[in-house]
Amino acid sequence: MRIQHVVFLIILLCYASLAGQNKQVLYDFNEIPQALMVNPGMETDFQWFAGVPLLSGISGYAGSNGFSVNDIFADDGLDINAKVRNQLVAGLNTRDEISNTATIELFSGGFRSAYSDLFFSFGAYLEMDNIFYWPQDYAFLAFEGNAGQLNRRFDLGDLKTRGSMVAVYHMGVNKKINKNLTVGVRAKLYSGIADYNSTKNSGFLVNTQGQNNLLATTLSSNLRLRSSGFGALRTAADESNLTSTLLKRSILGGDLGLGMDLGFTYHLGERTTVTGSVLDLGLIYHSGDVYNYSLKGRATVEGIEIDVLKELGDLNRDFWQDLVDEVEELIPFETTNSAYITFRPTKLNASIRYDFGKLDGSDNECDCDISSTKTRRISYPNSIGGHLYAINRPRGPLFALTGFYQRRFGRFLALKGTYTVDKFSTTNLGLGVNFQAGPLNFYVIGDNLLSYQNIAASNYASFQLGLNIISWGRKR
Amino acid sequence: MNRLQKNFLLPVLLLLFFSCSEKQDFSQLDDLSITPSLEASIFFVKVQELLINSAGDINFFTQDFNFDAFEEAFFADRVLEGVILYELENTTSKPIQIELQFLDENDGLLDSEVFTLDAAPTAVLTREVAYGNTGKSLDILRNTSKVRLNASNFGDNSSVSGIPGAAFQLRSSAQFILRLK
Repeated sequence: MRIQHVVFLIILLCYASLAGQNKQVLYDFNEIPQALMVNPGMETDFQWFAGVPLLSGISGYAGSNGFSVNDIFADDGLDINAKVRNQLVAGLNTRDEISNTATIELFSGGFRSAYSDLFFSFGAYLEMDNIFYWPQDYAFLAFEGNAGQLNRRFDLGDLKTRGSMVAVYHMGVNKKINKNLTVGVRAKLYSGIADYNSTKNSGFLVNTQGQNNLLATTLSSNLRLRSSGFGALRTAADESNLTSTLLKRSILGGDLGLGMDLGFTYHLGERTTVTGSVLDLGLIYHSGDVYNYSLKGRATVEGIEIDVLKELGDLNRDFWQDLVDEVEELIPFETTNSAYITFRPTKLNASIRYDFGKLDGSDNECDCDISSTKTRRISYPNSIGGHLYAINRPRGPLFALTGFYQRRFGRFLALKGTYTVDKFSTTNLGLGVNFQAGPLNFYVIGDNLLSYQNIAASNYASFQLGLNIISWGRKR
Repeated sequence: MNRLQKNFLLPVLLLLFFSCSEKQDFSQLDDLSITPSLEASIFFVKVQELLINSAGDINFFTQDFNFDAFEEAFFADRVLEGVILYELENTTSKPIQIELQFLDENDGLLDSEVFTLDAAPTAVLTREVAYGNTGKSLDILRNTSKVRLNASNFGDNSSVSGIPGAAFQLRSSAQFILRLK
C-alpha cells in the first residue's frame, strides 16, 4: 500500500502539470540554508554550510485548481466518460490549470567572509516546470464536435501552455548593512535543456449559414508553438545516449540565459521585521535545436462548389484537390528554426513577522545584544506573521496569502506552520520541521496537509526536503 | 528533547510519508471514449436553365468529380456513423431528375441516390441518408473516390422559367461521428 502511494505521488508529480512554486513554509525559515534561495536578503548566522549533493534541496509540486485525480480515477463504479464530461469538459474553463514543478539541488554551499560581513552562497539546481491551461473550446470540439453549433465561435486562443527544463548555476552575496537592514543579491546563469511554449494564440473556428451551400466553415488561425531542445533529446534517446545529452545541455551546452534575485530583511522595531524578494528576473535565449510551428491565415469553405456555367471550360479539373490546396495556401502550416527569447516566471515575496517569547535560559524576554557579534542573529522562540506571494503566469499573476507561526526549541528543532489561501485551495495547512543534530541539518516540509487524508482527492500536493552540514563557527 | 521528538517530529514525518488515498483505477482510461460529431458542407452544384436548354438531350449533364474526403485515412479509419443531408432546388421550367453515383477508384458503382423534382414552382427537396448502424454501409463512403452526377431533363428545351436566374441547385452537408479514442 505504501509503495502504491509513493508511485502515485511520483505519477502525480510527473504527469499532472506546475508552477505554483510558492515556498511559503520555507520562506524566511532562517534556520534552513535553502531559504536563501527564496530571499537572498535573509538574515543568516551560518559561518558556512554545505548541502549534501542531490539531497540538500528537493521539492516538487503538482496540481490542478479545477479537479483532482480522484474526481476522474476514483474506483467508484461510475463511467469515466460521464466523469470526464461533467468534471472536465463541462466543469473547467480557460482559467483552470494543470501544473507541476520539480526542483533538485545538485550542490550548494555558502561561507562567511573572514574580512567583512558578507555571506557568499553558491550552487546549482535543476528545475522542471509545466503549466497547461484548460483549452475549453478545444475540449468541447474534441468531445462534442461542431455539429449543431451554428454560429458558435470556437476560440483557438484557449490553447495556452508552457514548460521548461533548466539547469541553474547561481552565486549570491548577502550583507548585513546595519543592525536593521540585510540585503542580498544572487546572479543566475541558466542553461536551458528543453523548452516549449504556446502562449500567444488567437483565432476561431465557426460554422455559419452558407451563401451557396448549406454551411460555411471558417477557420481563422494564428497559432504558434515554439520549442527548443526536444530534437536533440529525441535523437539522443534514439541513439541511447540520453544521459550524456542531458548532461551536456545542462552544463552550459544548451540555451543560455541570465537572471538575478534580489531580497532584503528590515527590522521595523526590535520584534517586527519585514522582508521581500524578487526572484528570477531573467531570460533565456533559445538558439540551438529550435523548432517553431505556426498555422496562420483565414479560409472559409462551403465544400466543393461547382457552378457549371462558370466552370464550363474547366469541368474536368480536380475540384477536391484544388480545394485542399487553396486552404493550405490560405492557412499555411510552417516550420522555422529562428531563435527566440523566453522570460523566466518572475516571483515576488513579501512578509511581515512579529517575534516574541523568552529566550531559553533567560528570565528576560530577550537579553541578547544585537551588536555583540556581527553575525549573530536574534532568535526569539516564537514568530507570527503573514506572507504574500505572486508569480507571473501566462494568464496573469497568481497570488497566494499565507499566515504563519514558527516555534523554535533551541538550536535543535524549529517548527513552522502555515495557512495559505490561493487559487488551488482555501484549506491549505503546511508544516515545516527543521532538525539540527550537531552540524547535521535535516528539514522536511509538507504542504496542503489536510489532503493527505486522501491525497488523490487533493487539488495539489507539494513537498520539500533537504540535508545540509552547517557550522556557526567558534563563536557559537 | 525526546518528548519533542516523539510528539512532533515523528508524527509529521509519518504524515508526510504515509499519506492515505482512496483506491484509484487508472485502467479506466482504456474505457474513455472520445467521439465528436463533426459537421461541414460537402458539395454544391449549380446548373443554369440556359445550359439545360442548350444541351438538346434528355441527359443534359454528366460529370465525374474526384472526391477523396471520405477516403482520407483520418475519416475512413475513425467514422462510426453519420448522415448526409441533401437539399435540391429547381427553379427551371422543367421537371428534372438527378442521379448521384458514388464510385470507387475503378469507377465501380458503390451506391446511388436519385432525386426527382417537378418544374418550378416546386418545393425544395430535402433528404437525409444515414450511414452506419441501421443506415447504409459505411464502406460505401470509405471506398468512394469519385462522385458522378447525371442530370436529366424530362421537359422541353425551349421554355424559360419566369424566376430570375433559374437553375437547378444541389446542396449537401455531412454530419459524422468519429472515434478519436
